[in-house]
Amino acid sequence: MSALGWGRRAAGLGRALWPAGRPRLLAEEEAFGGVRGHRRSSSASPCEQDRRKDWGHAELLEVLQARVRQLQAEGVSEVTVKRVDVALAPEASSAQSPGKARAGAEGAAPKLSGRWAQKLDKEQRLMQKRKQRLEGRLQKRERTLAWQRQLRVEPRLLSGRLANQLQRWEQGAARSPWEEQLAQLLQEAPQRLSGDAAKASAVRGSDVRLEGQRQRLLSFFECCLLTGHLPLAHHVLVTHHSRSRQQRLLTLAMYNMVMRGWAREGSFKELVYVFFMVKDAGLAPDLLSYAAALQCMGRLDQDASTVRRCLKQMAQDGLQLQGLFTAVPLGEGERAELLRAVRKAEPTFRPPPPPPPPAPQLNTSPLLREVYAKQGCPVSYPRLHLPLKKLQDLFQQQLRVELATTVTVQSVEKAQPPTEEVLHARKTLADLRATWETALYQELQETKASEARAAREGRPSLFPYLCLLSEREFVGLLLQTLQALPAQGESLLFLAHELGLRVFNRHIVQRKQLSKQVQVLEQHYIKYLHLLASDTQVAERCLPRQWWEALGMPEAPHEQPWPVSVLVQLGKQLAEVLVQAVQMPGSLAAPRGPGSLIPVLYHVYSFRSFRQIGILKPHPAFTQLLEAAAERTLTFESTEVPMLCPPLPWTSPHSGAFLLSPTKMMRSVEGTQQHQLLLERCPPAQLHGALDALTQLGNCAWRVNGRVLDLVLELFTDKGCPRLGVPAPPSEAPRPPQGRQTPKSGLLPDLSPADKAEMRRELARRLKVAREMQSLRADALCRLSLAQHLRHRVFWLPHNMDFRGRTYPCPPHFNHLGSDLARALLEFAQGRPLGPHGLDWLKIHLVNLTGLKKRESLQARRDFADQLMEDILDSADQPMTGRRWWMEADEPWQALACCMEIARATRAPDPAAYISHFPVHQDGSCNGLQHYAALGRDSVGAASVNLLPSDLPQDVYSGVAAQVEVFRRQDAEQGVRVAQVLEGFISRKVVKQTVMTVVYGVTRYGGRLQIEKRLRELHDFPQEFLWEASHYLVRQVFNSLQEMFSGTRSIQRWLTESARLISHTGSAVEWVTPLGIPVIQPYHRDSKVMIKGGIQSLTFSSSGDTSQKPNTLKQKNGFPPNFIHSLDSSHMMLTALHCYRKGLTFVSVHDCFWTHAADVAVMNQVCREQFVRLHSQPILHDLSRFLVKRFCSDSRVSKSVWVSRLLDTLLSVPKTGAFDLEQVKRSTYFFS
Amino acid sequence: MWVPVAGLPSLLALSALTRGGRFCILRFGAARRKDVLAGNRRGLSDIHPQLLSNVGFGKSSSRVYRCRSEIKRYITSPRLAETLVQILQGKGDASQLILECNPGPGILTQALLGSGAKVIALESDKTFIPQLESLGKNLGGKLEVVYCDFFKLDPRSRGIVTPPVMTSEMLFQNLGIEALSWSKGSPFKVIGILPTKSERNTLWKIFHDLYSCTSIYKYGRIELNLFITEKECQKLLANPRTPNLYQALSVLCQIACGIKVLNKLPWSSFETYTTNGQLEKQKHRELVEQNMCLIQLTPHRDLFTGNLTPFNYDVFFHMLRQCFMKRNAKLVDHLHSLSPIDALHILKQIKKNKNVKVIDMYPQDFHRLFETIECSKEDTCKWLYDDFMEDVIL
Repeated sequence: MSALGWGRRAAGLGRALWPAGRPRLLAEEEAFGGVRGHRRSSSASPCEQDRRKDWGHAELLEVLQARVRQLQAEGVSEVTVKRVDVALAPEASSAQSPGKARAGAEGAAPKLSGRWAQKLDKEQRLMQKRKQRLEGRLQKRERTLAWQRQLRVEPRLLSGRLANQLQRWEQGAARSPWEEQLAQLLQEAPQRLSGDAAKASAVRGSDVRLEGQRQRLLSFFECCLLTGHLPLAHHVLVTHHSRSRQQRLLTLAMYNMVMRGWAREGSFKELVYVFFMVKDAGLAPDLLSYAAALQCMGRLDQDASTVRRCLKQMAQDGLQLQGLFTAVPLGEGERAELLRAVRKAEPTFRPPPPPPPPAPQLNTSPLLREVYAKQGCPVSYPRLHLPLKKLQDLFQQQLRVELATTVTVQSVEKAQPPTEEVLHARKTLADLRATWETALYQELQETKASEARAAREGRPSLFPYLCLLSEREFVGLLLQTLQALPAQGESLLFLAHELGLRVFNRHIVQRKQLSKQVQVLEQHYIKYLHLLASDTQVAERCLPRQWWEALGMPEAPHEQPWPVSVLVQLGKQLAEVLVQAVQMPGSLAAPRGPGSLIPVLYHVYSFRSFRQIGILKPHPAFTQLLEAAAERTLTFESTEVPMLCPPLPWTSPHSGAFLLSPTKMMRSVEGTQQHQLLLERCPPAQLHGALDALTQLGNCAWRVNGRVLDLVLELFTDKGCPRLGVPAPPSEAPRPPQGRQTPKSGLLPDLSPADKAEMRRELARRLKVAREMQSLRADALCRLSLAQHLRHRVFWLPHNMDFRGRTYPCPPHFNHLGSDLARALLEFAQGRPLGPHGLDWLKIHLVNLTGLKKRESLQARRDFADQLMEDILDSADQPMTGRRWWMEADEPWQALACCMEIARATRAPDPAAYISHFPVHQDGSCNGLQHYAALGRDSVGAASVNLLPSDLPQDVYSGVAAQVEVFRRQDAEQGVRVAQVLEGFISRKVVKQTVMTVVYGVTRYGGRLQIEKRLRELHDFPQEFLWEASHYLVRQVFNSLQEMFSGTRSIQRWLTESARLISHTGSAVEWVTPLGIPVIQPYHRDSKVMIKGGIQSLTFSSSGDTSQKPNTLKQKNGFPPNFIHSLDSSHMMLTALHCYRKGLTFVSVHDCFWTHAADVAVMNQVCREQFVRLHSQPILHDLSRFLVKRFCSDSRVSKSVWVSRLLDTLLSVPKTGAFDLEQVKRSTYFFS
Repeated sequence: MWVPVAGLPSLLALSALTRGGRFCILRFGAARRKDVLAGNRRGLSDIHPQLLSNVGFGKSSSRVYRCRSEIKRYITSPRLAETLVQILQGKGDASQLILECNPGPGILTQALLGSGAKVIALESDKTFIPQLESLGKNLGGKLEVVYCDFFKLDPRSRGIVTPPVMTSEMLFQNLGIEALSWSKGSPFKVIGILPTKSERNTLWKIFHDLYSCTSIYKYGRIELNLFITEKECQKLLANPRTPNLYQALSVLCQIACGIKVLNKLPWSSFETYTTNGQLEKQKHRELVEQNMCLIQLTPHRDLFTGNLTPFNYDVFFHMLRQCFMKRNAKLVDHLHSLSPIDALHILKQIKKNKNVKVIDMYPQDFHRLFETIECSKEDTCKWLYDDFMEDVIL
């Protein structure tokens, strides 16, 4: 009973605050139209009540919230909190019209009463009094605040004429319908001259900060619409519009967005208001604006004449009627309403038929012709080894994981026996978490309320974002963050960004769920599986992407990511909630301390050489509690874990990989749009090569090598073994005798200050070691726990690429790109019989892994393995107790895994039939130089990096060392002192690092440091000559490279110079890889973005966008290596695509290609052929042509000095040597 | 008296000679540097045989040193030099050891030598070295010249150091200077001018060294006599009565050292020069308007007798920096994020009001606060501080 009264009274309160509508007073209207700066009073006028009652519901809820807060402050039980939760539900789902929502809320109140009446009855008497008192107080306060609280509807227009017009119409509202006015309004010319506007926008565009604010505002409006806060969006729009300073921020897109919102609701009056504002701002309505207006007319069933006038105006503006249906993205319902309106005016109108599913476009790149050829070479695309049923099952598993957004994994840390202490700690923790949930919940509510207030004041606050997810989800997210916070703390900026991203991802997943996309996806995916499963038939063999496109999955609208500033702001707000809400009893920290609550998280500053970094740090007692509880679970985001079913094929730059979580095809620094824009602008067919290659790399099924995992875990849970890459547990770390916190020894009075300083240094050293060990350990724990989690399962690693086209697996912790240990844990889930030569390849691979016979022929390597067979078998059988030969290898764990595979194969009755899952690698020898040598057709260079067939593998490092030695001897004979001193010291090792990195742009400065380091390691080298000798050597290394790779150096110089000039013309360097991927270098001058307020102002620099000037140094130094990387990635993708066509399993770690032992020979052949194909293209000339077109063809800038110099440089493409590329095809050691 | 300048390049000598200013500012042009270096290969071998290989490859030295627009001031007035010598020597014994940083043309060096002191000249600019060496020719080892940058001794990056960046061990071992214990005093005095551009950073470095008892302070309680800008000097001397200037460095300085302002020289009366002999008043307006103070910093003998020691000084540093991040906030709010110990209890112990603000705390109060927390017996965990939070690379 009481609850009923409660609800009614509250509703009544809402009404009392805003009395029922009345015809508006003329005087008020005058004030509105004529007098500027009278905004507030007019907005607070009672005459607006009739319109505002629609929003009464929101107001009511806020009042309720405020009351609950007050009641809580008075110590009311949490019952009330829950009540409001229920009451709030309609608001969360108020995508329906406000009127309906209101009715829903009122309808809900009596229902609630039944549930809560009993509980409340008990405290009723006490409550009653309090409530009355409160209500009185509240009413008073609400009244004073009311003027701020109300949402503005009518705009205040800056143009006097328009304002008068608006005013006239409003007065005459009864007589002439609104739609009449719209039609007339449409005829109004935009207030500002278009030229003016263009100029203004050009000036605006230059301002990065303004652009950032715009992005945030647009994102705010979008989010308001999503969460059903359209009136709020309108309010903020009106507020911004009425302040000329803020009006600069508004763009047509924002007005359109709000208009579209009103159109969906069928609220014509508000729509007209927005139209007024558009005109007032001097913007010309575009198709989107008209679509909104017509849609609204359709919904309201307007008469034909209005519609006709609207259409006429549209034609006068030069906009096509057809365009409404083709160029404007519309929902199903929206489209129907729009059509209804148009049909009124033109009954015969037929919308253009939906464009036929575009004929599967074909990639025309000459490199890919064979890949996409329908006839000709035989096609045998591989299939998975799993039947359809199993795959469907796997899909369901993965779907569940992604819907849950997190995965909880058992840790592989040794299980503690559940002692009294452990159990106690766990219980404490569980209790604390329960309290934290409530506390966080309350804190979130309060934050939401205050953000809502901010929005009502016209600021684009975080309110709509906080409405995207339910409080429960936010609480879960925050608790998860708390759990994962490292003991030494985490930078607030990082944390905020991470939190923001997670909210975004969850929101996307939720939207897909709500919009029924999941079911559609499921249907299509099952059909898609028919292509991959082992027991299905398809009519025509084709690539996964082609198959997917043929299935005609409707392209889901692609979600624009939020601007980084929004992400960070939201994340920071959430982090603040966490800091404020989460507390624990002080007695946990100091058992005898006072019983007050202390915060669990602290916001402290860390000082890094005069910069301060704000970090959030957990209380040490909390860290201890976590340790004591020894909870053996780890939580990962679903995107951090390999997938349990084949990834979605990549069909566009933003759809592919994970089922629901958004993934970008090209990873980039967060917040940079330029790559994405470039990709979207590309014709779709141009990207096919990259899309298919990524899909194919992701389609490789993996499994965990159980035996290796067992051995690793054994070491891991014991003492670790740093030598083998298994980090030791913290118990093995050097511990300070008593720890930092009790520096008894540091306080001993009889020690001298100098001794204490020494002690401190020792302590610091130990702490550093311990910290490093800890982070290594944590890293390994993640990886091994995931491996354990995935043991006995088949999983997939979806791939994407960096801005140069190099590919990477998306899941970060457990993949084949990691260390020796990580790689050894993985093997192909699909097996292949070894065949006649497979065993030989296994043996050669083993010898390669040992790093012993690098300069021997394949035959010699195999013979070497045969000699060692005893050791190999011993390693395989008794890895830890035997002779442990494998431990001496360069890559011990992979060597061990290989030993085991060889042992199994040799013991099989027929080794050739043995089914092997083991991946065999083939490495390019100094791949960067290989590409350079091929580009420049350097004969000598090509020979030294194995582009020429030869009996023994060549070693470029030895080659360079020998060349340096020749120079040295000459100099020594001429009496150069350094050259004489260096006699006998020039070895492969000294020059290796420099030669390797020269390709990637190392300078003489860096090269000298590298060589100095090497020389320093030589004990008998006279150290006083270090500087001189390294200086001399680096010069000689560069000279030798010049001698051997004459083309290379000139190409490098040409690239560098071009990049320098391009950068000087004010652009970032762009090019297109031979496979058609557009590349742009993301090096720009930093611009600082600051987010103020709250516990700390956060500043982050963004450097990735085209609106900023390029960073010349980085652009210039980055171009040669990035260009070479774009070539090696092209080579890899070509190899991948062709291998796929031949039915091979293929994966790559950049320039290291993996396949089954049986297929190594085929892969090698494909690899060489594709290298020749790639370099047979006029790569440098194509590049030159592209750059000229891109940077020198603009007539406006071509007069600049830089441009003409650039043109000269670009046209003088370096000359090439006489090397015959075809020879590569016969070079055994090209990749080996 | 001006004879020894013969070794200077003509332009420099000109500017130093013709303008009677007491300081001059030099800005190094790239062109000049080369020819000076060419004729400068001899010299250091007697002191630093292992450095020989480096001579002649000036370009290789650390990055910082390549900055050519660095402005340096030198004492060029003999009268000022005499005054300084009198101030420095005071009543003390005349034959003490003085470390002079960046003597430049050597005017002060000469005056010091004249008064009978032993001088070690640490010069970071090779241009001046031959000239300085010639000063000590007939003095029987009373002057030693080392190519070294005093203010960059013992870089924390711990990379490879090449002169003029050196480690103190390297330097003092070669000079044959032994460490004295903290209570005994100081084996030498230091006089120099703080580098203008990096004044604050250099001060931070000095106090880090002092509190951690490393670098020069490993050799005893070294007395520093430094010229610093008046503004910076005021900051060092600030306390709650001058809240606008009060900052963490003030506290550190006042806790650690006895500070004496020995002399104040109006900068406005000096003229400033670039190397090509042109007046450059306009460009250095901000310098022109400043005074320079000579301050003496003598570390307290009893600095480390309490609970503040080189073992835990970093916590003290962190506490101060954290407090002065939000200097107008209440101390109690900062205490919450510094230490898990009950903040009100601590405030009671140091007899402060719970509303006390950071800028109301005198340096001694901070010291007491630190000692109180450090002494508290109750808790196992006294600070929320973690080693990695204070990571200073100078």
